[in-house]
Amino acid sequence: MTSFENERKAIATAMVAYKVPGIQKAAADAKAAGMEATDIIEAMGAGMSEVGVLFERGKLFLPHVLSAANGMSAAVKALEADLPKDQVGTKLAKVCMGTVEGDVHDIGKSICSTMLQCGGFDVVDLGRDVPSKDFIAQVKDNGCSMMGLSALMTTTMTVQRDIIGMLKDAGLRDDVKVMVGGAPVTQTWADKIGADCYSESASEQVDRAKALLG
Amino acid sequence: MAEYLTYMGDGKRIFCTREKIIDDLQAGMAEAVEVGNVPDLTSEELAMLCDIVCDRNRIVSVEPGNEVVLSNDGAQNKFTGDSGSSGCGIEMSALAAAQVHERALSMDTFEFGSLDNNYSVKPLKAVIAMQMQKMEDMQNSMIVPFFYGAMPNMGLYYEPDGPFGNPPDLMREGKIEEAQSEMEKAMDMMTRDIEFMGVKMQEAGSDGFNFDTTASAGDGDFLSVLRGVELLKKARPEAQTMVGMSSENVIGIHGMLDYKGQDVAGIYPHDQAKLAEMAGVDVFGPVTNTKSGKSLAWNMAYSVALIKECEKKSNLPCHVNMGMGVGGIPMLETPPAEAVTRCSKAMVEVAKVDGI
Repeated sequence: MTSFENERKAIATAMVAYKVPGIQKAAADAKAAGMEATDIIEAMGAGMSEVGVLFERGKLFLPHVLSAANGMSAAVKALEADLPKDQVGTKLAKVCMGTVEGDVHDIGKSICSTMLQCGGFDVVDLGRDVPSKDFIAQVKDNGCSMMGLSALMTTTMTVQRDIIGMLKDAGLRDDVKVMVGGAPVTQTWADKIGADCYSESASEQVDRAKALLG
Repeated sequence: MAEYLTYMGDGKRIFCTREKIIDDLQAGMAEAVEVGNVPDLTSEELAMLCDIVCDRNRIVSVEPGNEVVLSNDGAQNKFTGDSGSSGCGIEMSALAAAQVHERALSMDTFEFGSLDNNYSVKPLKAVIAMQMQKMEDMQNSMIVPFFYGAMPNMGLYYEPDGPFGNPPDLMREGKIEEAQSEMEKAMDMMTRDIEFMGVKMQEAGSDGFNFDTTASAGDGDFLSVLRGVELLKKARPEAQTMVGMSSENVIGIHGMLDYKGQDVAGIYPHDQAKLAEMAGVDVFGPVTNTKSGKSLAWNMAYSVALIKECEKKSNLPCHVNMGMGVGGIPMLETPPAEAVTRCSKAMVEVAKVDGI
């Protein structure tokens, strides 16, 4: 029984180096060494989390994050034959993301969407200044089981509370996990309005979103 | 064991022992050292911070002789905006607000900025003549250095608000080079807008320009401001420029930009100040972002360690941003006076900032 420590380290190093061929090679080497496909994917996921942290610390940049994600996608594709059929091409969950109505701030939300997509979620990015009813429709009609509500202003963060209220009124609150974020938003606010999850950064959001899956 | 009233970064009141406060100060400093590649604070400086946090007085201040210059951003909106019922919401003219800041609140500089143009560079073009007229009128009644202020706000140059493709959206579609190309086009337009607007406001009698919340759209935003300042200073050398940042590191959305050979993305305040100096900026406004899940002591030490290095490395006067969610102050719309005054004292007496 081996823990494949060397292979895990090589995968982590390749992810942080964000080069597609390097990631593919590290994954192929791990497979050749006998590491299970699911474990290789898990190791790449851990590497992707590290990439997210490095992005937030200014050590890696958005194109690097995307490159690492592309490398991971290519490596996963090569492993598909070794995966259980029900795991091929599956996403962790479908998430609708958007900046709430009345708020035109876009970039923080877009980075969060990118990070979630890189983290294995199926992301529906609704943009910014999104009518509240559109979030509800994503749960009702488009199968979204998670929702990310961004607000960058103290005057618009209250819309997060309103949308949670609308979900309750529509009888959908138990069907969706609600994540909130944005500059003025805190854990205290998230608790107050009954959100399921708050995160201070995009990379933390991915970890917390995964934790919500149970 | 004695406990001291202090706060979390989200404004929650907590009580901590001196030992816990010391632990948090050391942890906050260690985080700054790691992320910003800055030196440790000395044991004397940590002890000073501890005394500041543990001071039993509600409001603290600096010792006589340590007072610093107070500059301003956000213009009259701090008074006039009601922020959805939690702000002041006082009905007064821009001039009245400016005079109150100058004559009652003893601000050393003030600015005219307007929500008519979303307090942003791009929409200013549509209302420039009216803004120039107001600037000229107001300058006749003001004594302190009186600037025009706006956010560079590069986000307004991208779809759906502007003519260029939205880089994060393009990147999610795998179009990395196209995203970078769109950013570069937006940068060119924003640089031209900064020069245009700056020159016009100087013609109207402005003492200079305050670029508030610079780099909010990442490295391209910051680089455009540097280039814009360079052009503005060339055209109107008398224009005083203040560049205040939006966050502690420049987010690498493009990732491959440089200013005169120096990387722009990912840099922390001490490197940002160097680029600002190269561009001809007169006053630099560094930022640190408060972590809402950490204590006031943690955030204070974190912020002071980053800003101290900025002040040390910079030849420019540094006016650190202090307020809701920055400079160690809790992320709360009306931050506790205990926290505001403690963090401000720490910045002045430990980080040795030139102004706030």
